[in-house]
Amino acid sequence: MNSFDHFTPATLTEALSILAERNGNASIIAGGTDLLLRVKNHIVKPAAVLNVKRVPELRALSFDSNEGLRVGALTTLRDLTRSPLIRDCYPVLASAAGLMASEQIRSLATLGGNLCNASPSADLAPPLIALDAVACLVSLSSERQIPLAEFFTGPGRSVLQKGELLKEIIVPPPQGKTAYLKHSPRAFMDIAIVGAAVRIQQQGGKCQQARIVLGAVAPTPLRVRSGEESLEGQTLTSEVIRQAAKISAESCSPISDVRSAAWYRKRMVEVLVRRGIEATL
Amino acid sequence: MKTLITLNINGDAREIYIDARRSLLDILRDELALMGAHRGCDSGDCGACTVIVNGQPVTSCMMLAADWNGAEILTVEGMAKDGQLHPIQRALVEKGGIQCGFCTPGFVMNIKALLDENPKPTEAEARAWLAGNLCRCTGYAKIIEAVMSVAEESA
Amino acid sequence: MTDALIGQRVPKLDAPSKAAGKTIYGHDVRLPSMLHGRILYSRYAHAKIIRMDTSRAEKLRGVKCVLTPKDNPPHRFGYGKDNKPFKDIARSLRDEIAGVVATDADIAEEALSLIEVDYELLPNIFSPREALSEGALLIHPEHKSNLFQRYNYSHGDLAQGESESAVVVEEKFLLPYVSHVCMETSVVVAQFDHRDHLTLWSTTQIPFLLQRDLSEALGIPGSNVRIIQTAVGGAFGRGLDIYPYEPIAALMSRKTGQPVRVAFSREEEFLAGPARQPAEVTVRAGAKADGTLTFRDASCMLDIGAYVSWGTVTPLVMMETTASLYQVPHARFTADCVYTNNLITGAMRGYGNPQSTFFIETLMDRLAEALKMDPVNFRIMNANVPNSETPQGLVITSCGLKECLEAVAASADSARMNVYPERSRRNEGGRLVLSEVEGMTVTANIKPSPFNLQPPHIKRGIGFASTLNVGGGARIYRSDGCGATVKVDDFGHVTLVTGSTEIGQGSETALAQIVAQTLGVKIENITVLNSDTDIKPWDVGVHASRTTFIAGNAAYLAAVDARNQIFETAAQLLGVGVDQLSASAGQVTVRDEAGKSISLEQVARRRHFKEGGKVILGEGWYDPPTQLVDKDTYKGNISAAYGFGAQMAEVEVDIETGKVRVLRLACANDVGHAINPMAVEGQIEGGAQMGLGYALTEELIVKDGKVLNPDLLDYRLFTSADMPIIETRIIETDDPGGPFGAKGVGEMGGTPTAAAIANAIYDAVGVRMTQLPMTPERVLAALDEKEKRARV
Repeated sequence: MNSFDHFTPATLTEALSILAERNGNASIIAGGTDLLLRVKNHIVKPAAVLNVKRVPELRALSFDSNEGLRVGALTTLRDLTRSPLIRDCYPVLASAAGLMASEQIRSLATLGGNLCNASPSADLAPPLIALDAVACLVSLSSERQIPLAEFFTGPGRSVLQKGELLKEIIVPPPQGKTAYLKHSPRAFMDIAIVGAAVRIQQQGGKCQQARIVLGAVAPTPLRVRSGEESLEGQTLTSEVIRQAAKISAESCSPISDVRSAAWYRKRMVEVLVRRGIEATL
Repeated sequence: MKTLITLNINGDAREIYIDARRSLLDILRDELALMGAHRGCDSGDCGACTVIVNGQPVTSCMMLAADWNGAEILTVEGMAKDGQLHPIQRALVEKGGIQCGFCTPGFVMNIKALLDENPKPTEAEARAWLAGNLCRCTGYAKIIEAVMSVAEESA
Repeated sequence: MTDALIGQRVPKLDAPSKAAGKTIYGHDVRLPSMLHGRILYSRYAHAKIIRMDTSRAEKLRGVKCVLTPKDNPPHRFGYGKDNKPFKDIARSLRDEIAGVVATDADIAEEALSLIEVDYELLPNIFSPREALSEGALLIHPEHKSNLFQRYNYSHGDLAQGESESAVVVEEKFLLPYVSHVCMETSVVVAQFDHRDHLTLWSTTQIPFLLQRDLSEALGIPGSNVRIIQTAVGGAFGRGLDIYPYEPIAALMSRKTGQPVRVAFSREEEFLAGPARQPAEVTVRAGAKADGTLTFRDASCMLDIGAYVSWGTVTPLVMMETTASLYQVPHARFTADCVYTNNLITGAMRGYGNPQSTFFIETLMDRLAEALKMDPVNFRIMNANVPNSETPQGLVITSCGLKECLEAVAASADSARMNVYPERSRRNEGGRLVLSEVEGMTVTANIKPSPFNLQPPHIKRGIGFASTLNVGGGARIYRSDGCGATVKVDDFGHVTLVTGSTEIGQGSETALAQIVAQTLGVKIENITVLNSDTDIKPWDVGVHASRTTFIAGNAAYLAAVDARNQIFETAAQLLGVGVDQLSASAGQVTVRDEAGKSISLEQVARRRHFKEGGKVILGEGWYDPPTQLVDKDTYKGNISAAYGFGAQMAEVEVDIETGKVRVLRLACANDVGHAINPMAVEGQIEGGAQMGLGYALTEELIVKDGKVLNPDLLDYRLFTSADMPIIETRIIETDDPGGPFGAKGVGEMGGTPTAAAIANAIYDAVGVRMTQLPMTPERVLAALDEKEKRARV
């Protein structure tokens, strides 16, 4: 591991100032479970590491029935699985977090880290995007909000600019039911071969709004609008569901890697989307 | 760059100058000679380095020690009291949950964390909680049996 | 006997220290002035090193020295004498080409990146077929062929067997690279003293062979090499060879004059450690209409990688399964062990048996199906029997194969009835037992939902497989012996010094039980020393499930010798004949004369303090009455006893995803006599974890000689959450040659697992899986294939 400077700012302003001074050449560490792996494997050689764990502004966790959920970047996966607020209002987030890694890693790893690491297979991204979550990004000079669906730009890449931090995620009040299905060989300790989040809002026996978001099948989490459209306005018969699942599979072109062949990922998209929709009924 | 930090380990405050690169596991093993936490993978996948920090089980290999100034840390060395093994340790011994023993300290600590939060877990809960601790010798059977026996005793 | 220790669930003697985190493993060894060595591996799988510039690395602060091929002693080492510490021609990506010694491992690591190397690339050979093709480049030119060894075995008359067959089945199998994945990575600490004596702190399983190997590799007398085994954090066959990092650490210590530690990272463990040989296998087998087996014919191609190890001998075991598991009148087995530019391979738990049991037991299932016979009855009617000799020359003494099959069949019945174990009942020992099946010990109570509540895409199936494994040593070296001494001190405390090693399996405790039982002392009064070649007598090593049988017999003989010495003195002191004495509860007592006794301690003191005194020191050497197999026919009785086992797997297959979930694995094993049932169960349960991984999730994915998944995230071991219910049943047959009737059990737990699961998958969904691991992707592809065939 290369040597680096280490900072532990106590406020958001302090953190952003260091980030600005370092002109982007600082790695932000929250849980550290992704960053340390990359540093140990010489993928990242940071000149400075910025420990943001003491920044209180990143620790939001509140719910308002109009605005929805504000959940700070430092919220750990463990917090997500334990928080009564999340378990009650957004159970899909608690269950998605609970499938990730291990109890020990979940105690360290954070929501912000999972998103900013921008892995195509990040388990929290599909359900959050399905919930129409918005990312709040801050820098010394500005604060902006961007739909999480637009946050990711490629594997390991996001819209975060130099000097900018992910402060929190805002999730609108839950509409309909959301499910996240993860396909992996083991029960825990696995990266998803495919992840599929589905949100279905029904009214009068018809699907009013649908979200289908896939993980691990594209460079970024993939929202399948054509699949969603095939559901909206329809009565969700098994034929309609099958059709949406098929469209979802056809609309992605995953890669083959050590975890799975591309054809298998496509097949799993179809199965998971179908089962995901069924799980919301 | 070396920084001075304080770690409260097994009830003792330890002040240490550390290199910012060092993981908590490095510090425990190399600076403090607490070698019960084992380095099985150094990437958070095996659980052999599990310790309890601020009440939560963590893989100490995946933590920069510098990030944890002031933390309360419990390691396997802090489990026995007055020369007597902790009931979890005793159960692992008596039920046959230890073979090569390399994974054992990590299991001891994660089982402690489990039973602190959920003193009467179902077997399925225990198995899920311990999924981050790999064992290559026992097939986990007798480890789980030990967990269930401690849970039963504490009832 | 009064204080019976044999058959007791004695907790491991080394467990309390391990639970407390106080045990010293190789990674915990710290010596004054200890330095750290790191190894530079080749960038290319096959290349000549034409220039190496180490000057920048040497200048790095903290670097003590850099070693290159120039530092090699002139000798080659390894099973095939084809290896050197550092290579000037790299034959695989794991080839060591240089090493750095520094004050800390990070500096050494950084220095590696400063070594400049120019390579001249040579053609790569990544497949055994290509390696054997005409004109293929020789990987070791001095060997004249890329075929290192061909095994060619037969008995009976294959043509006759085939002509007698009512059914014949044939299948091709593909077996993957898998890794031991010891939780502790490889580590060694080497220290040369001023007399040029080397001390090596090592995780080896073969201290005395390593002592010899190292003396050859380094060109120093064996008497100058001392091996101290630290607590071993898992072995499973990994420690059955010399590896280059060991002489490298020694060379590093010699060059710096300081102790040097070389510790592998997990990634390095996957890249540079040994793996189980991948193999391509074609098997044919036949049976008569009444179910009698007629013949088997298996041919294997093994990729042994760039260097030969003891793992190259694994075809001997594959051959044994092919020729002698069940009664097979006609059999042929061939295996080619081929050099390639791939990973090195080595010995791994089961030593060929998990591979061969997978293909043989899959074919057994196909035969039963073709004959429309019950798979268990078919196996039982062909099973090996006690007091028989197989055509291969295996002399089977005790044999409980039939009983094992019957036991797992009982579990299958409860599985078919959808009955799952309850934790409601306990036996006298407080063990939880399965209420439905007598004697089964159950380890989980995750209850699957009843069959009729399963969604339509979930299919259930049940499968069986058996195993035959050496259980009384395995003579693959001139001696299969082990020495032991038993000393009694003047506190009545007993020290067993055994040649054999504790590697986590519990041998220390089992041997202590044997000695304690024989001398009539409490287990607490026994100390076992087993880790220092300067102290302990010779032993060939911990392998082949041999320790309980071989080291157990040696310990027993030493204890009997000590007891004779005790009785000799006690008889004089008590004024009775030696034949009137017995030992129990730390006392020597006169039979039939109540109250007349003397303590062990008193006997020892009297023996020590009298004029012309003597030590109570018993000696035992046990080398089983077995043979090295004939070098041409491969026939002969390799082991003094054979262990048997059977497993039943109940699985669920998701036909939409191909994912297989094992719900229950019932394991019955004939272990002769269980010295320590808890330890026996532990071996079976742990073996099952490896067998489950081999069956379903574990594979080193290797492309162009490179491991693509060298971490524990993508090399998937079963976790506690993935494990099925495991039922274990110990079958006791009391082997006449074993200590207290015991036979070995160390490797059998995982041997039949893959076949049992494959057969269960077939039962569930009608596809034969012939490639391991049976990943969801492969199962789904097989289901697709089946559907395609059905449509045609």
